[in-house]
Amino acid sequence: MSIRILTIEDDERIRTAVRFALEDEGWSVLEAESGEDALDNFNSMDPDVVLVDIGLPGINGFEVCRSLRRASDVPIIMVTARDDTHDVVAGLEAGADDYVTKPIAPKELSARIRALMRRVKSESKAMTPRNVGDLEIVPEQGVVRKNGEAVHLTKTEFHLLCELSDQLGKVLSREHLLEEVWGYDYFGDGRLVDVHVRRLRTKVESDPAHPRHVVTVRGMGYKLQP
Amino acid sequence: MKLSVLAWRRLPLKRRVIGAFTLGAAVAALVLVIITYGLSRQSMLQQREESSQRQFFANARQVQSSLRAEEPNFTQLLESLPSLSGSRSIVRTGDGTWTSLSLTPNDLPTALIGSVLESRQAKTMEYRLDDSPVLAFGLQLRPSAPSAFDEVAYFEVVPLAEIESTLESLALILLAGAAITVLVGVGIGMWASGGLLRPLTDISDAARSIAQGRFDTRLEEVTDPDLDALVASFNEMAAAMEERITRDARFSSDVSHELRSPLMTLRASIDVMQHRREELSGRTQQALDLLNEEVIRFENLVQDLLDLSRSDSGPIEHDLVNVEELARATLDASQSDIRFEVSESAEGALVMGDKRRLAQVLDNLLRNAEKYGDGANRVTIDSSENEIEIAVEDSGPGVPPSERQLIFERFTRGAAARKRGAGEGAGLGLALVDEHTRRHGGTARAEGKENGENGARFVITLPRAGRR
Repeated sequence: MSIRILTIEDDERIRTAVRFALEDEGWSVLEAESGEDALDNFNSMDPDVVLVDIGLPGINGFEVCRSLRRASDVPIIMVTARDDTHDVVAGLEAGADDYVTKPIAPKELSARIRALMRRVKSESKAMTPRNVGDLEIVPEQGVVRKNGEAVHLTKTEFHLLCELSDQLGKVLSREHLLEEVWGYDYFGDGRLVDVHVRRLRTKVESDPAHPRHVVTVRGMGYKLQP
Repeated sequence: MKLSVLAWRRLPLKRRVIGAFTLGAAVAALVLVIITYGLSRQSMLQQREESSQRQFFANARQVQSSLRAEEPNFTQLLESLPSLSGSRSIVRTGDGTWTSLSLTPNDLPTALIGSVLESRQAKTMEYRLDDSPVLAFGLQLRPSAPSAFDEVAYFEVVPLAEIESTLESLALILLAGAAITVLVGVGIGMWASGGLLRPLTDISDAARSIAQGRFDTRLEEVTDPDLDALVASFNEMAAAMEERITRDARFSSDVSHELRSPLMTLRASIDVMQHRREELSGRTQQALDLLNEEVIRFENLVQDLLDLSRSDSGPIEHDLVNVEELARATLDASQSDIRFEVSESAEGALVMGDKRRLAQVLDNLLRNAEKYGDGANRVTIDSSENEIEIAVEDSGPGVPPSERQLIFERFTRGAAARKRGAGEGAGLGLALVDEHTRRHGGTARAEGKENGENGARFVITLPRAGRR
C-alpha cells in the first residue's frame, strides 16, 4: 500500500523539493499551498499523514492542526522553522503528533513518517483488553471507554495509553515513552511526552488538574494507575 | 588621622551608619551623665553644707552662752548638743586644752585650726578622715562677759560618707542608663541602616534577577522622592534593555527562519540528486559533493547562530539529566572509538538542565577535538559532592595557555585551528559550549593534560543535582 502524504506549505520550491524527495521513498505526495486549500480538499485527498508548515499565510499552521484534529485522527507532523518552546508546545497543543525543524533532511523526515505509520499499524501489539479503574482499554478495536462511554483518542494518545497500561503502576521515563511511542532515540524531545500526557488527561481524567490515572512522578516520568 | 578616615570610608556603609549612631549615642549619654552627676553632687553637698552650717552655728551659740558659767563643763555641754547625722564636736580652750567626746585634735587638719585661731570668722574645710569624706567647721568664740576663758574655739566634723555613697549609686544608675542609651543607639543604627540599605538590596536583587535572564524584572514604585528617581531610572534602563534583547533575539530568530526555509529546499534537492548519483558524470558528482558539504556547513552555522541567539535570551528547559547516560548516548551517536571512564562517585550523577543542549555541549567538544586535535581519545566523568566534571581529551597539538580563554569567544579559533585551514568551522562551537554551560550554572575551560603529554583537555563542570 502506498502511503499518501499531504504537504501543506506555501513555499512552492520547498513543496516541490520535498515532494521529489518523498517520492523517492516510494510514497505518493499530495500538495496544498495554504491551510484553506488543505481544509477544503482534505476529505477528497484522504491522506495517511499530514505535514503542516507552521508559518502559513492566512490561517496559520496551528489553526490548521486544530481544524484537522476536529475532523480526523490523521497523524500530523508539524514543520517549523522555529523550535522555540513556545512554538513547539503550541503546535503540539493544537493537535500535532510530532514536529520537525527546518531544514529537515528528507531521510529524517521519512524516518519520522515511518515511525508514525509503524505505530498506527502496530498499536495493538498487546491485544488483551484491560481495565484500569473506570477505564476500559480494548487495543484490538482501538477503543477506550470511561465508565462505559467511548472516549475519543488520537492514535498517538491511544498508543501512549496502551504503552502505560502495558506496565501498569510502573514508572516509565520520558525517554522510554519517546522510544516506544514515537520511535526516538535518547535525544527525543521530552515536550512531546509532556504535551501528549496533558492532552490524554483532558480526555481520560475526571479532573485533569488532579489526575488520578496518569500520574507524574517528578524527575522520573509517568505511570498509569487504577 | 587621614588613615583612620580612609579606614572609616572603607568600612561597609551599614557598619558606618551603625558606628555613627553608636558614637553619637555614647557621646550624648556621657555628656548627660557628667552634667547630671555634677549638678546633683553640687546641690546635695550644698544642702548638706547649709544644714550642717546652721546646726554648727546653733551649737556654737550654745557653747558661747555656756562660757558665762564659772566653770563650764564642756563634756556635759557637748553631750547635750544635738548631733545632726553623726556630727561630732570638739572644743579648744585658750590654754590649748581640747575637750571632746569622740574626737582628738589630730582628727582636725592643722590648716583649719590655724586659720580659725587667726580670725574670728567661721571656717569650713572638706577633707578625708579615716578614709571617708568629712566636712569640718570651726569658729573662734569670744565670751561677751568676763569668763574663765578668753579664747574658745569650737569645731564640728560632719561626715559626708552617706552623701558620697548616694552619689556613687547615682553614678552607677547614670552609667547604666548611658549603656542602655548606647545599646538603643546601636539598635536604631541597625534599623536605620537596614531601612537605608533596603532599596539598595532590592536593586541588587533585581539586577541579579535580570542578569539571570528574567528580563521583565522591575523595581516596585516607591513614594520616597529621594528613591523615586533611582527606581524610575533603573526601571527605564531595564525596560530599554529588555526591549533591545527581545528585538535582537527576534531579529536573529527571523534571520535564521528566513535562512532555514531556502536551506530546506537545498537540502531536499541535494538528497534527490544524491539518490540519482549514478546518473551523474564524475565531475558533476564531485560538484554535488562540494555542494552537499557546504550546505551541511551552512546548516550547522545557522543552527549554531540560532542556538547562540537563543542562549542570549530565553530560559532553558529543566529536567533531571543522568550525565552518564547522556554522555554514553552522545558518544554512541558520534560513532567513534573513544575511551569512556566514569568514576565511582559520578555513577548515576544528575544535573538539572536541558538534555539536548548538554548533549550539544559534549558533541561540540567531540567535534572540536575531531577538527583540531586528531579526534578525542578519552572522555571522563568525575564528581564531587556538588559538582560534576566532564572532560574530553585529545592527543593533538594542544591549546597554548595564552589562547585557553580566547577560544571560547565567538568566531575565534586558536592558532592551531587556523593552521589547519579555513574550511572547517566558524568558531562558534566552543562559544556554544561556554554559553550553554554557563546557562546551566557551570563553567568550561581548556587545559593541558595532567601528565604533561601532548594534547588538550576540555573540562566542563556542572552543578550536581540531588539524587533521585
